[in-house]
Amino acid sequence: MDDKYIKPFVDSVLTVLPQLGITDIQLGRIYERGRNLETPGIIVILGLIGDIRGNVIYGITEECASGIASVMLMGMEIPSFDEMAQSAISELTNMLTANASTEFAGVGVNIDISTPTLMTGKFSATASSEKVVTIEMIVNGQTFEINLAIDKIC
Amino acid sequence: MKNCKIVVIDDSMFSVAMLSEMLTNQGFEVLGSANNLEEALEAVRTLKPDLVTMDMTMPGADGLEVTKAIHIMDPNVKVVVVSSMMDDEIVKKAKKVNVSGYVQKPVDAEELALIINRVMADEELFKELEEIYYTVVKETLTDTFNKFFKAVPTFGDENNSNNEQVSHGISVVMGITGKYVGRIIFDTSNETVTNIAVKLLGREPKNTQEMINILAEIANIAAGNTCSMLNRKDKLLGLRVAPPTIVHGESLIISKSDLDTITSSKATTAFGDLYVNVGFKRGEGEWTTSI
Repeated sequence: MDDKYIKPFVDSVLTVLPQLGITDIQLGRIYERGRNLETPGIIVILGLIGDIRGNVIYGITEECASGIASVMLMGMEIPSFDEMAQSAISELTNMLTANASTEFAGVGVNIDISTPTLMTGKFSATASSEKVVTIEMIVNGQTFEINLAIDKIC
Repeated sequence: MKNCKIVVIDDSMFSVAMLSEMLTNQGFEVLGSANNLEEALEAVRTLKPDLVTMDMTMPGADGLEVTKAIHIMDPNVKVVVVSSMMDDEIVKKAKKVNVSGYVQKPVDAEELALIINRVMADEELFKELEEIYYTVVKETLTDTFNKFFKAVPTFGDENNSNNEQVSHGISVVMGITGKYVGRIIFDTSNETVTNIAVKLLGREPKNTQEMINILAEIANIAAGNTCSMLNRKDKLLGLRVAPPTIVHGESLIISKSDLDTITSSKATTAFGDLYVNVGFKRGEGEWTTSI
């Protein structure tokens, strides 16, 4: 996949998370894989429609998500990944995707994003596209996956 | 558009007189005015306006506090702030308390009318969508099943609760964009998908991927037709559906969503039960300012 579709998502994490007070962020591996994703515990799906058609599927472990949600909720303890923490992570993915779409617009790629759908449990996800590009970000030492399933570049 | 009934909330008699005159000249119906929290609540309770204009600086409670109090009494009343104060911080605070629009004093009559009309048009359009979307979903799913299987589903009671849901085994998630954003989820059991696959293929599905493909295709057609039909009813909606992502596994919980309207029901089909959950959120488009 062309780098121009990956960079806005990497930049978005590097911009948005520090604004929320999370600074321990590193870029991990970027690789292509098939459409089947074993979920790490939590996934959030947002549809992408416009010059790109597909989905962005965030994959996060409960530990990583709870750590981020705790910072977003002003240091509140997150004993379990409850409704409040789920709402914080949904909002985070919304911010990350909206931020990436703003960067896309700057390079002439216009994308609208849907509302996020957050799911938890032990399950697999099958993306709509044959190939998925996975961007691993390491946040507070934990893997935060951004899976880009692009069906069509219009 | 229906006639918009307005109450002017401002502590300055001059501003009340000027705004009332301006709004009346622009064709709105000004029901009355208020100049503090108590009078504002009384006016909303007795006059039942569609919209109030709100000054920010008033003695006692400020415009944000009055807005919050009004929305506790009636969340459907739209608030457009009309204030000489306007900076990023106060606009951010206003958005947080669900102010729909913001106009800076001195007020330009046409600009104020334009913002009020936009706010009310958005509200009417969202209400229209709320009234029709689930009926359309049921119609298109019925049509899809009729064309594929010559058999139609029957639908159970509609539920508007926004609680987390436990999947029955396999879910298709599709995001929706347009004037309002949202998503549609079809959830069912592996057994139901197997029964559908057997009917369509004339044999057992070879593997999970084959089952996924069949369910994704049916969901994609139903969701795509739903958005097309809604767009035909009002082209301003401009709804589009994202490709389906399928999730499946031994334990799957779909969390509560941050949506303004949500409806779900159980469709009983010849192959088993199918749960259809659709929701929309008012977009940023509703926020209107003169900036």
